[in-house]
Amino acid sequence: MAEPGRYLYAIARGLDAAAVEGVPGLDGAPVETVEHRGLTALVSTVDLAEYGEEGLRRNLEDLAWLEKVARGHDTVIHAVAGAAATAPLRLATICLDDDGVRARLDEWHDALETALDRVQGRAEWAVKAYARAGSADQPPAEAADDQDTSGKGAGLAYLQRKKSQAHQQVQSQERALEVAERVHDSLAARCVASRRLAPQDPRLTGHEGVMTLNGAYLVEDAEGDVFAAAVQELAEAYPDAHLTVAGPWPPYSFATLDPS
Amino acid sequence: MTEGHRLLPQRLETDAESVERDLFKLVLTVIELVRQLMEKQALRRVDEGDLTDEQVEGLGLGLMHLEEAMEELKGRYGLTTADLNIDLGPLGPLLSE
Amino acid sequence: MSIDAVERVSWDVEGSGPQIALVDLLDRLLGSGVVLAGDVVISLAGVDLVQVKLHALITSVRAEMATEGRVL
Repeated sequence: MAEPGRYLYAIARGLDAAAVEGVPGLDGAPVETVEHRGLTALVSTVDLAEYGEEGLRRNLEDLAWLEKVARGHDTVIHAVAGAAATAPLRLATICLDDDGVRARLDEWHDALETALDRVQGRAEWAVKAYARAGSADQPPAEAADDQDTSGKGAGLAYLQRKKSQAHQQVQSQERALEVAERVHDSLAARCVASRRLAPQDPRLTGHEGVMTLNGAYLVEDAEGDVFAAAVQELAEAYPDAHLTVAGPWPPYSFATLDPS
Repeated sequence: MTEGHRLLPQRLETDAESVERDLFKLVLTVIELVRQLMEKQALRRVDEGDLTDEQVEGLGLGLMHLEEAMEELKGRYGLTTADLNIDLGPLGPLLSE
Repeated sequence: MSIDAVERVSWDVEGSGPQIALVDLLDRLLGSGVVLAGDVVISLAGVDLVQVKLHALITSVRAEMATEGRVL
């Protein structure tokens, strides 16, 4: 390896090192721990040619590389989150060496303790809502059978049909957004913390409709089933929203160190 | 999910056999865009209320025939409106619906 | 009408449960999530003729890299 660096996966508190024994890190390197002031950083050695500033600039635009790293990163997050309070880090947090890791742990110490307090004993649930699939294939505004499309007023009638169609579309979009708000508000009231993430591109999700809600909810471990049942109820109340729910997941969205 | 190493470039491949159909698709897409824009604008003008009844009727008939013509053209190559939608990435699809 | 999908992802490292969708992972592990570039290339007989290029927008991650990168 030309120049090694340390890739940081997550920070944990109260972690038994045995929990990460045998857990594979990126590119076949073993996952190791760096402890400092009661917190444990999960790290592995990576090649800075690939993960340094230059390498990242190239690789971050490569979906195949992103997939490899995201999956590898997530394997470690899952292994640790199952064993102790864990603050998952974002992709590609790199330090030159373990002294650098400790310096980070120092710098982030208070923010990390706060984040770990927030996520301890809790898990993330993801709920999504969609508007109905687009009307791309809507048939042309067809006249009612009894309308004479060649007679007087046929042009006006056509315009009226089009106007009514456009109006219906706008209304249906507004309704979909309103439903998404209600679903989010209802779920946010039932959990410790919530975040709305940006809607996902339909080409990535494979779902035809526009995504109206991409919500992340922090739920007490013991309340998981109750939360899922609440989503089920909302799905029945709003069938057009095509709700999906997934969880429990590690608390990715709630352990960030950003001011937001 | 991993469709190639770059982030989903799209290629409109044409070859000797399919070139006619593919270029046709491209042309129809542009026409369809203009047609939709014209319709939206016409509806706006009608709403503004400064057109005579004859003008409104003329607009409506013209647009109706345009739509019929588009349907006929699409039908010739078995294309749907969805087929005509070129993806502009972050700008979304070309055709608004 | 029931929920379309309920996935319970276990803590197991081997991933016995259904995997988290890559788009969801990237949403959370990247600063800005993923936005696709829309490159449209029109080619004829294997010859690229016209290219409509748009930028990949994973920009906020790069900004983060500048600060979270090397620690000296």
